[in-house]
Amino acid sequence: MTLHTPTAADRRPTAGRPFPDIELRDHAGSRRRLSALVAGDPAILHFYRGWWCPKEQAFFRRLVALQEDIEVAYSRLISVSVDAHETAAALRAGLGARWTFLSDPDRVVQEELGLRETTDTLHDPYLPAVFTLFPDLTVHRAYDGYWYWGRPTNEELRQDMRDISRAIRPDWTAPSP
Amino acid sequence: MTWCWFALAPEPDPAATACARAFAADGTPAGWILLWRRRARPSHAARRADDRIADPAGAAAWVSLVRPPAGVRLPFDDLAVQQARRDVLAGEPMDAVTTLLSDASHFEGALTVARGAQVQRLADDPFARVFPQQILRVEAGALGTMPAPCGPTIERYGSANPWPWDRFTAP
Repeated sequence: MTLHTPTAADRRPTAGRPFPDIELRDHAGSRRRLSALVAGDPAILHFYRGWWCPKEQAFFRRLVALQEDIEVAYSRLISVSVDAHETAAALRAGLGARWTFLSDPDRVVQEELGLRETTDTLHDPYLPAVFTLFPDLTVHRAYDGYWYWGRPTNEELRQDMRDISRAIRPDWTAPSP
Repeated sequence: MTWCWFALAPEPDPAATACARAFAADGTPAGWILLWRRRARPSHAARRADDRIADPAGAAAWVSLVRPPAGVRLPFDDLAVQQARRDVLAGEPMDAVTTLLSDASHFEGALTVARGAQVQRLADDPFARVFPQQILRVEAGALGTMPAPCGPTIERYGSANPWPWDRFTAP
């Protein structure tokens, strides 16, 4: 008989499974729970390496463009990194982002989720990843962004938000007279 | 119910859920901050506010009270009101914020609560670019602390809810 020791990859949230209701400090230093930030809406949960990564800067510019849709579409966007909350606040302000950034400088949640990028021993950052979530935190889709092309396009995120909204909004089809 | 009633009135109301005296920055009495948790509108001047802002155990605070001139109001969809909500989300959070309204579609002001280092930022309240602002010191016993809006949502959840109420009412 062989005992299987769970690896980091085993701990990573996957489609159809509940995402842990993590709690971290936001960019203002206040503790925030994921379920409170999702607040009953479809959500995009984004893990990024750090402000210094050119791939993250490119991806953030896409998310900033998408926020104009999200802000009127009853959906959520949350970004998480190992940066200190002051650093996250500065990045957020520089980007013009209006969503919540969470900070995990102690890497406790990173370990819980099995999302450490083991090939970067300088920063020990999050593995770039995006999860689209139902309001109850069930994962709709998981995107592995280790290679940049593994990240979702804005169109894929839009389709995910549409799929989840269609599933959870009882009045998705507009009422007829 | 996701909202309460709010008013700045000349006299206290023993029927109010929370009540505290308010003063202008120079110490001049400015009236009473009153909040009611009840269905019926308590006075003509009362406006709907996010229920989470009412707290009879709340600490003293400074507030930015933005209200339109008499007889004036703007649709929530007015571009200036939309941009004010974006600017609130982009900035550092305050202890509490709620818009004020009396019907399902019009913006009739905002109340922003600050304590400590936040107070100096009240003068930059984005809602004060829409309507005139009063900055008041409010004694303890009326105003609580709300979780900061998560953003980036600027819409209201159900048209009668004051922004930044953060979810649809459960069926």
